[in-house]
Parts: sequence; C-alpha cells; structure tokens
Amino acid sequence: MPRAVKGLLIECDPSIKAMIQMYDEERHDYIVEDLDDDRHLVIKESQLENLKARLDQDLDAKIGGLEDSESEGQ
Amino acid sequence: MAASMSRPLEYLESLPGTTFKKLYQQPSTALAIFRRMLPDLAKCFVMAMLYLKDPLPTSDLEKWVRSDSKRQRDNALSILGRLHILSTTLTDNNVRACMVNDPFASSLRQALMGSDDAQSFGVLSQTSNESTITVADLDEYARRQWEGVLGYMVGTSGLGQRDINLSKGVKQLLQAGHLVEIRNHHVDITKDGFGFVLQDVNTQVWHILILYVESAQAIGMDSVEVLSFLFLLSSLELGQSYDKKGMTSVQLRTLTDLADFGIVYQESPDATRFYPTRLATTLTSDSNALSTPASGSLNGPGQPGIPGTGFIIIETNYRLYAYTSSPLQISLISLFTNLKYRFPNLVTGKITRMSVRRAIDKGITADQIISYLLTHAHPQLRKHNAGQATSSSSTMPISVLPPTVTDQIRLWQLERDRLKATPGFLFKDFSSLADYQTPCEYARDIGVLVWKSDRKRMFFVSRHEEVVAFLKSRS
Repeated sequence: MPRAVKGLLIECDPSIKAMIQMYDEERHDYIVEDLDDDRHLVIKESQLENLKARLDQDLDAKIGGLEDSESEGQ
Repeated sequence: MAASMSRPLEYLESLPGTTFKKLYQQPSTALAIFRRMLPDLAKCFVMAMLYLKDPLPTSDLEKWVRSDSKRQRDNALSILGRLHILSTTLTDNNVRACMVNDPFASSLRQALMGSDDAQSFGVLSQTSNESTITVADLDEYARRQWEGVLGYMVGTSGLGQRDINLSKGVKQLLQAGHLVEIRNHHVDITKDGFGFVLQDVNTQVWHILILYVESAQAIGMDSVEVLSFLFLLSSLELGQSYDKKGMTSVQLRTLTDLADFGIVYQESPDATRFYPTRLATTLTSDSNALSTPASGSLNGPGQPGIPGTGFIIIETNYRLYAYTSSPLQISLISLFTNLKYRFPNLVTGKITRMSVRRAIDKGITADQIISYLLTHAHPQLRKHNAGQATSSSSTMPISVLPPTVTDQIRLWQLERDRLKATPGFLFKDFSSLADYQTPCEYARDIGVLVWKSDRKRMFFVSRHEEVVAFLKSRS
C-alpha cells in the first residue's frame, strides 16, 4: 500500500548533502528519507531554519577566513 | 511603462464585475482606464466600436488584424474582456458578435464629447487667489513628501535629512503592505520594500494607492468610491486648484490621506480647495512623474539608457563612487556597500562579500542590487563600456556594469542559498512499477510533481490532495 510522508524536499550540492547526513547521524532528527542520489533528500519541515543556520555557521567557519579583509588595501 | 501598468491592471482584474459597473459610471474612470490600462490595439478596437449601434460580428473584427499578429489581437481582446469593457453576444441570426459594454461606452462617449455635467472631472476653484501656488512649488512639495516616505523606509535618519512629518496612517499603510517591518522600534525595510524603492515613481505611487484602496475597506470606506476618486484625481490638470465643495466625506478623507504622500496638496485639511501634484496627474498618462532635472535627487530614476540620470560608477575592483548628496540614495547604497568616505557631492565605498551578504540577509536579492546599479549607472560608465563592447565582440551583450562585479554579486548570493527547499509530500512504498507510474504521471500532468525516482518508486509532490484522491479512486 503506498504511503505519503510530509516533509521538505531539499535540492542541493553533494557536498551540502554530505553535511546534512553528518548532522543527522548525531540524533537522526533531520532526515525523513534519503533519496539515494547525490542531490536530493527529504527532511522534517520544522528543521529547515535550524539546518540553514547550522550550515551557514559551519560554512562560514570553513570559507570565511580565506578572503575578504574588510579593510581595503589602499 | 509596461511594467508600471501591470500592477494596477492586475488589481483591477481581481475585482468582481459589479464593481466595474459602478466604476464605469464615472466618465473620468472610463477615460483613465482607456488611456492607461489598454494596449494600443485594444484602444483601436474600442474607438472603432464605440459609436456602433449594433454589435460587430467577431469575424469582421478578426479581419482588422493581419493573421500574423494574432497574438497581439488575442491579448488585446482578452484584456478588454477581463476589464469588462468588451462582451460577446449572439445576434438574432446566431452570429457571434462583440460590443463595448454599456456603462463604459456611454461614460467614455461623455468624456470624449464633454457632455459631462456630473462634475466627474473635478470643479475648478473660482475663488481668486493671493498666494498662488506654482507648478514648481507643487513639484517641490511632492518630491519632499515622497522622498520622505522612501526615506522613512530605508531609514535615512541620522544622515542629516530634514525630518518630514509622516502621519501615522502612512506608516501603518507601509507596514500593512509589508514594505517595512518594525522590529524593536526600529524600521526595517523588507524584500518587497527594497523592490519597491527601486521602481520608478509612477509604479511606486500605484503600488501605494492600491494598498490604500485595499485598506480603505477595513476602515469603513467604500473602496469603489475611493478607487474612482483616484481616477478622477489622475485626470485633473497640474497647476490648477480644485474646489472641495460637493465632495463626499470619503473623498475628503482620501484627500487628506493622499496629501501625506504628496499626491495632492492642500494648505490645511480644512482648506476649501486642493491642488493635484505631478504624482497624481501622471498616474494615468505615460509621462514620467518627477523626473525633471530639478528633482534629480529623487529617484533620478528612471529609464536605464537615458543619459544624465545616473550617478554611480563602479570599477572592476568593486570600488563604488556615487555622485549624490541625497540621503535617500546614500542609505540605499549603504544597504549593500561598505561606505568609506563622504564628500559634499560624492560617497565612495566598496562592495564586499560581507556587505552583499548583509543585504541578502535582509532579503534583498542579487538581481535587485544589480538592477539598482544598472538603473543608476553614471553616463560615463555607460559610454565607456558600450564602446568597449562594440569593439571587442558582437556576441556579448553590452554590459554597463563590470561583469566581474555582477557575477560575483550573484555568486555571493548563491553562497547563501545552498539548498532549495520545497514543502510537500513524498509518496512511497508502491508495490509494483505500474502502481507507481500512473499516479506519478497524473501528478506530473496536474503540475504538482517535483521529483521522482523510477528505481526507488518514489515521487515528491508539492500538493497531495488531488493525488490522494486519484489513488483512492483507483483502489
């Protein structure tokens, strides 16, 4: 019997997907269904903001230092 | 002007047919809609049929337009239909025919022939006037008020702007339209608001007026009356004063509210007459409101490509120079730029990853930033890059802004939107491929399918009701 599950379909780069999977391994509170290709998965609707904030934070930490010194060289 | 036409048009189309009947009673409304809302071809149709006694067979009408312009014809006819101007009937011998509907036809004829005695076009004030208000005064008033409204939205306070007293009504209206949000007593511009500030004045005024009409109902004013009064205002003559005698209480109240926006001017709310400003009189015409050089600081906006209006120079190293002293423009620019120096006629700064990110966090999109920069690009920038583009290659579109900068702004935005989320429902656990395929195809046909995997027999839809009903009907 077919079933319908409520959720958010996430479309993203493989790297981002890997990060979401990593978060999920801690407590399994993000992913509803892993869709088995590189770019898609379904997550809980309530977790979107939380997930975005966490991704931004981690990505900033990784990329942030590389560029953009706000003080401009004259 | 096509863009500024669409919003009032959309709003009008959403009104019920009975509202149109009431609106079209006023010759000024009929004329305003005819002048402003209709494409040229539709105007031709209306003019050709206005004085016909009998409905015109549709086949004859179709002959007027060459067959290769069928699309324009259908578009014109569809707009006329949606505005309840044209209707099709069957004649006695069963031929489909169209005619211009009545309240509209008779009102437009009245407007054209001047046989209007219902004062639909306002009453000129007869009282002699010592303190004459000139057109320049009106422009100045309109500019100050309107810039005050925009300045309030982008938060120019602190930049030494003279404070314009905005009434509570104005602020409430901006909030109700989601153009600004109040957070901790601090006015914050929203995404919609930023888009709004970047539009040309005419579109802005229409946007505000439609918000006004929508909110009028809530405070107990008849929205049809307000709307038809707006059309009346739009047909008045600039520089003339009009008598308030005989106006209804709703009209008087609207006048007072519109004065806050600079759309009309009156010496005091109790004055016996009022002046329409350029903001009002250009509502239903094609000429641009407030784009005279004198008012350059307000939105020198306008049409990209017209030299003399832009003031922003941006270099390939992301440095930005803006030749302006307008607090409004400076605070707009500071939304997405790190400003560094301010001179009497110039501010300079740099667009950085952080500054763009700050803007994007506020909900401003990269495209909005780019279109703002493009609209206000300095003539020198246009000249320079246009010359370069013609000499190098003809395949590249002429870009006024340095492509490195625009690309980078877009990339900075992408950095922010790393994932695309679509709410909906995942259907799974289908027992056979055939069981999976039919609902999946059904979902695709009704346009709700977002993602599918044949291998896993799963698909994702943005709306599930119809698919569930479909599945039930088959089991």
